[in-house]
Amino acid sequence: MPPVPTAEAPPVRVRSSPPAPRRRRRTPLLGRLWHFGLFAAPGVTVYACFVLAPIAVSFGYSLTNANPFNPPTRYTGLHNYAQLMHDPEFWTALRVTTILTLFVTIVPNVLGLGIALLLDRRGKLYNALRSVFFTPVILSSVVVSIVWSRLLDAGGPVNEALRALGWHDPPGWLSDPSYALYSVASIISWQMLGFCVVVYLAGLQGIPQELVEAAALDRAGPIRRFRHVVWPLLSPALTINTVVLLISAFKTYDYIKVITNGGPGAGTTATIAFDVLQTGFDANHVGYASAMAVLMLIIVAVATAVALRILRAREVDL
Amino acid sequence: MTGRLPWLRPLVAMCLSAVFFVPLYLVLANAFKPGDKISGSPASPPWPPTLDNLKAVLTRPDGLFWVSLTNSVLITSVSVVLLTVLSAMLGHYLARSRSRWARVLTLVLLAGLMIPPQVILIPISDVLRVGHLMGTVPGLVLFNVGYYVPFGVFVFAGFIRTVPIELEDAARVDGASPAAVFWRIVFPLLRPASASVLIFLGVWIWNDFIDPLIILGPSRGTTITTGVYRAVGQYQSDFGSVFALMLLATLPVLAFYLALQRHFVKGLTGGATKG
Repeated sequence: MPPVPTAEAPPVRVRSSPPAPRRRRRTPLLGRLWHFGLFAAPGVTVYACFVLAPIAVSFGYSLTNANPFNPPTRYTGLHNYAQLMHDPEFWTALRVTTILTLFVTIVPNVLGLGIALLLDRRGKLYNALRSVFFTPVILSSVVVSIVWSRLLDAGGPVNEALRALGWHDPPGWLSDPSYALYSVASIISWQMLGFCVVVYLAGLQGIPQELVEAAALDRAGPIRRFRHVVWPLLSPALTINTVVLLISAFKTYDYIKVITNGGPGAGTTATIAFDVLQTGFDANHVGYASAMAVLMLIIVAVATAVALRILRAREVDL
Repeated sequence: MTGRLPWLRPLVAMCLSAVFFVPLYLVLANAFKPGDKISGSPASPPWPPTLDNLKAVLTRPDGLFWVSLTNSVLITSVSVVLLTVLSAMLGHYLARSRSRWARVLTLVLLAGLMIPPQVILIPISDVLRVGHLMGTVPGLVLFNVGYYVPFGVFVFAGFIRTVPIELEDAARVDGASPAAVFWRIVFPLLRPASASVLIFLGVWIWNDFIDPLIILGPSRGTTITTGVYRAVGQYQSDFGSVFALMLLATLPVLAFYLALQRHFVKGLTGGATKG
């Protein structure tokens, strides 16, 4: 298709005396609307219909006692929110989610940085190893959950290995309430680690070698070089990793559903994301589940905004 | 340290990477092992190997594997193509527009990156039922497009800001329409961004679990990932089939990753180094 000439005549400058205004010449309204309709409207419409509209509906439900098997639905104001504040199950879920999110935000970040420093060399071996570390990222959470459930089973290969190493009585990592949450968090960290490695490696490879060499000439040892040159320049990578981990850990559902189904015991691994869907779809308390989901959205929005603000403030420009 | 012990770094790196390989080995080994041996010794090598598990999955009388494979391929490819086109256009519009509304719209879209699916999934059946889309493949595709369009816009808009606007201006001066400028000048330049969007969203949508589970519903069809989940519930004892199904569900995405891993890494690094 050749470039289609438009019907518009080239702009004719009538008066040339005043200097060109700072503002760009505005295209006519109809043209701008047409441009919006052609390029932006399709994506925006789908987003509005399948993301914004459901959120609005959720908020509406959260102000009612909606339950498809127990009509009629009545407006109950903020009753659901008030009830949530006195619901020990919700507070447990909040605690579980907080522990899980902190664990999954910190552990892959720290280990990922370590492994990235280890792999920050050129050569075929390091490229291949980087691929190995990244492979878990592309696996489905369902597959990862099933495989690790087998591995961490009370009589599974991990415990067999531990017994062989002389630990006679290793715990059931997923069946003991005091370990289950941390085991699930470790599994998620295992899967997310490769992402952090690749992002940190990219950051490391973007650091100008002259800077590190200059610091070495000034007799800075490896630790001081890392602390004062490399680490500050990795802050954009830290920002990305932290925000991605925070957001994805906060909505953890798949692993809980497949590995522990909220147990062992009473909600020891039930995250808010898990509780919302159990309450909404299994117990059919749609109104109550919606209130929980709306609170979830508010919490993750605030946490992300705070994290971004702190992390952005410490980023340095080259 | 490296100076004195040059073999230490590769050795440590290789030992650590083994931890990341073990679960993959487990899937591979157990898919070729007779079912009764799996729960007894899951880590043992599959010797002698058997193809019975794979055969059982592939030739199930109800054709579950083939149905879910078709569903997964269809849903993933249509969603990803639509997402690439729509978010490239939208990202271009937002990156080039200077109006205040465009800036507000960008923020609203970027907020979508952190929205937990739960707040959408509870009322999704009400929304989809309006268009008679609940329990259908088009319904799931439209949901995917809406839910992932923020990620596409984020990648494309960030990339477009690094492309000089002069190219477009030159074409516009030559009389090309906005559509011609976009498709003939801009879109071909966006190839690296398109590759990252295609790859990331392809993997995410293929592996998606909760969205197809709820939107396609329990009775109407299934994707390969939800199929794996159901298989665990159905055949608690028959782990041979479960592992064979997991291997078959993972192979396409693994092949996709290995074929495109250069772009994969580039796509990630493009975002990371620019922040």
